[in-house]
Amino acid sequence: MKLLSLPERLGLVTYRNQAKSDIKPHIKVDTDICNSTCPHKCTTYVCPANCYTMDDAGKVHFQVEDCIECGTCMYACDQGAVDWEFPDPEIGRGVTWNFG
Amino acid sequence: MEEKFDCIIVGAGVAGLSAAMTLANNNMKFLLIEKGEFPGSKNVSGGVLWGNDLAKLVPKYWEEDAGWDRYINQRRLTFMDDQSTFTVDFKSSHFNEPPYAGVVVLRSKFDNWLAEKVQEAIDKSDYAMDSFIAPNILVEEILEEDGKAVGIRTGDEKFYADSVILAEGVNNLLTRKVGLQDKYVPADHMLTGIKEIIRFDQKVLEDRFQLNGKSGMSNEFVGYATNGVEGGGFLYTNKDTISLGLVLGLKDLREKGQKPYDILNEFKKHPVIADTIRGGEVVEYSAHVVSSGDKRVMPKKLYKAGLVVCGEAANLLMNAGKAIQGMDYAMRSGILAADTITEAKKNKDFGDAAMKKYQDTLSDSYIMKDINNFQDAVHLLHDPVMTQKMPNLICDFGRNFFSIKNEPTKKAREMLSDSVKKHASYWDLIKIGAKGAKSL
Repeated sequence: MKLLSLPERLGLVTYRNQAKSDIKPHIKVDTDICNSTCPHKCTTYVCPANCYTMDDAGKVHFQVEDCIECGTCMYACDQGAVDWEFPDPEIGRGVTWNFG
Repeated sequence: MEEKFDCIIVGAGVAGLSAAMTLANNNMKFLLIEKGEFPGSKNVSGGVLWGNDLAKLVPKYWEEDAGWDRYINQRRLTFMDDQSTFTVDFKSSHFNEPPYAGVVVLRSKFDNWLAEKVQEAIDKSDYAMDSFIAPNILVEEILEEDGKAVGIRTGDEKFYADSVILAEGVNNLLTRKVGLQDKYVPADHMLTGIKEIIRFDQKVLEDRFQLNGKSGMSNEFVGYATNGVEGGGFLYTNKDTISLGLVLGLKDLREKGQKPYDILNEFKKHPVIADTIRGGEVVEYSAHVVSSGDKRVMPKKLYKAGLVVCGEAANLLMNAGKAIQGMDYAMRSGILAADTITEAKKNKDFGDAAMKKYQDTLSDSYIMKDINNFQDAVHLLHDPVMTQKMPNLICDFGRNFFSIKNEPTKKAREMLSDSVKKHASYWDLIKIGAKGAKSL
């Protein structure tokens, strides 16, 4: 069977408040820590939704829109850069699983 | 909702719903709060709900074609190298009659169904108009007075109760905020689960996996499935889909620099898996952190005045090689939590000592007995010899044993010895054997 790329997989996810352009992020990342002292920048590969990316200059960037609330980054980051909360039901993003 | 509740439950997963069902049956007045759109909407499991507690909450649930997907009458454990699989397979009609030994569930459907059953129980209680299941509410804070939990806050709104049951799941932010778990939980004993739901024509699925009616199969994988990362794979048959996924040790994933979704694609490309899933269509991709059952990470104290913690918020989950148990622990701990709260109301005492009874009954239950007894097995399963060398060795032996070459055949013992030398050492096996003997 055809293997799906990550964007194709995330395309199957039902996100909340998708119509709202201005959402309140439920995760705040202090990328200054990622880009100064972090020895591994592991969120850029362990995150199952690839919310953390590395640009050509090796800098870490974060976007919350694709987050599926799994919690991986909260444990994987041992540098104190990830401030993790659950999304607000009204003005946050986050998921509604169809199967779960 | 002006008055005080007997109890506020945070989280409508298996633990919270089981607590709620028990409270409703015990004629208690409670509020069950869920942050998702509906109960189950944010929950992910493998998953099989093992054991028979479900029948205590929903008697004869099997007479209804709703909620659960299939009962398990076949168990498979597969060792995998890059080309081969070597499977231990047990199937028995012994498992065909209810009460079933385990049922496969999809949480978005199952939890929502269980919530309907809880609502029916509420309707039959004296508090039909005063107990509520309230979705779409995020609890931000546990309100405390003089060190005792007295309610919850969401936004500017506050709700008060004699007691709080925290059933918020593995990402237990409130459990941390009330001081029962460290603020930062390191990756060391946590795993990330990722899975795909793959849909088939129901008849194709039933023929391919030899399912009959509502029977189902569970299959765990060790070895190549995780591409060198500690952990394992799983495949469960649902009604007309399968759940195919991996559980990956987070610390190891970090150290080995791998991406979980890439490992999942490698797993799906394995020739044996590719044959198994041919023609399927992926309909959902999901992920969730899961605890390992290693006691070193679990909160030591699961209560304080006016509050108890149950389910995976208390990291009650274990894979000791026989099965991945989490939802049954959630169910039992939710029931025990609710029983403690009911008893506390009777005695009009929700203090620290009264809440301690929950942890005492949990310690006496099969949950903590098993978690305590099988710690060595948990450590063994996360040993690289077990997750990497052993599957390679077993598959190598299988390849030799099942190859007929028109030349003099070695005795099996000799073949095994060759495979051991190639993939591990006798020293590895002695160490594993000693650990294994201790853990089983």
